[in-house]
Amino acid sequence: MRSAWVVMRRELGSFFVSPLAYVVLTSWLVWNGVVFWVLTEFYARNAVASGASSPLSAFFGGSSLFFIPLLVFVPVLTMRLLAGERQSGTIEPLMTAPISEAAIIVGKYGAAIAMWCVLWLPTVIYAWIMSQHGTVDWGATIASYFGIFMLGAYFMAIGLLMSALAPTQIIAAVLSFVALGVLFTVGIGEFVFDGTAREFCAYVSMWGHMQSFSKGVVDTRYLAFDLSVATLAVGLSIGVLKARRHG
Amino acid sequence: MNDVSFRVERGEIAGFLGPNGAGKTTTLRMLTGYLAPTSGEVHVDGIDAVRSSIEARARLGYMPEGVPLYREMRVFEYLRHRAALKAVDRIAEAVDRSLELAGVTDARRRIIGQLSKGYRQRVGLAESLLADPPILILDEPTSGLDPNQVRQFRQLVRSFAGTKTVLLSTHILSEVEAVCDRVIIIREGQKVADLAPGDSDTSLEDVFADLTASRPSGDAS
Repeated sequence: MRSAWVVMRRELGSFFVSPLAYVVLTSWLVWNGVVFWVLTEFYARNAVASGASSPLSAFFGGSSLFFIPLLVFVPVLTMRLLAGERQSGTIEPLMTAPISEAAIIVGKYGAAIAMWCVLWLPTVIYAWIMSQHGTVDWGATIASYFGIFMLGAYFMAIGLLMSALAPTQIIAAVLSFVALGVLFTVGIGEFVFDGTAREFCAYVSMWGHMQSFSKGVVDTRYLAFDLSVATLAVGLSIGVLKARRHG
Repeated sequence: MNDVSFRVERGEIAGFLGPNGAGKTTTLRMLTGYLAPTSGEVHVDGIDAVRSSIEARARLGYMPEGVPLYREMRVFEYLRHRAALKAVDRIAEAVDRSLELAGVTDARRRIIGQLSKGYRQRVGLAESLLADPPILILDEPTSGLDPNQVRQFRQLVRSFAGTKTVLLSTHILSEVEAVCDRVIIIREGQKVADLAPGDSDTSLEDVFADLTASRPSGDAS
């Protein structure tokens, strides 16, 4: 897996010298800064107004403001992974290097996960700010970050798969946006249906997922879902690369 | 592609000729494992390149058509990255040696995207030499080079005679006459000739025209 590490290192290196990285990171932080400010403001005026117990848990799981930008940022981060290589032709030297398809995919996936972590790292400062002006439930905060990591594990895997399938970066971005949008919409079904359909939608729901983690509840059903989707998407991506050799 | 069988001996420099669209690039892509053949066999240095693709690829230096490179990287960064992918032992030495061989030492710190086509071409050549492979496969290696660079390139390839096996695709006939011990000509995905440039009495140009010129359809001959 040494070659996967080499692939990952190059991917991250290229990402962080591209203007795209800084446009994404800056707009992401601006967006989250505004969301955090709005939530804090709201909680300062109305004590315990919603289901969530603090601005932090609302930030991580209570508001749709959390998910809407993700549906856009994830595709933008993952579109280059393989579709970019195909577009520039560098896929040919990559696929003719003496390394396995699995090493390429694992390296790309590792890079995507690292980007995801970089995206979230600065938000730790919100928890610190809260701790200066009140009490922070650190257990719930750690569970929230764990939940975010797991959510990223499958979001990034879906983005990677779409990038493996698509001929161009734009198409990869659109496909990932649609895939995540469908998952998000199915999750909303939790509030629409009854019975088994409701159970199913709640299981898929990103919202339910983060609401549970943001309260400090690490629900293994959600973990099973995240890991299954991630493993499936990564496995399929390896298959797509292998199949491409056959025309 | 259909019935393109040939064998290049160790230390031989072979030219791979054919009109545009004859299937040169496709054939080379099958040799390098980028594409899998639907039928038939590919052996690289005695290794079955379809079953043991990675082992076969480890013995190849390949310069794809158009020389795709990571444009945002510096030349030495790119070569280091590629050397690491190829699991080269002494990366720094290998990078210096291939920069020197390909004549791009002066551009080592430059960003690839800002290089001229000739330089990028030579970075691609340096890349193919990194692991000191016994076999080199070069797809139109001199396109974009100026006459002096072409001459340097030919001298470099000639210097491999006897030590490395080289297969180079081109449609420049003078290049084949200058550097190749052998010529393989294909047309419409089929091999039509396998000869040494000095063999026949007629010039290579005539042989090529004879074998590959498209005949008008309906010609009864």
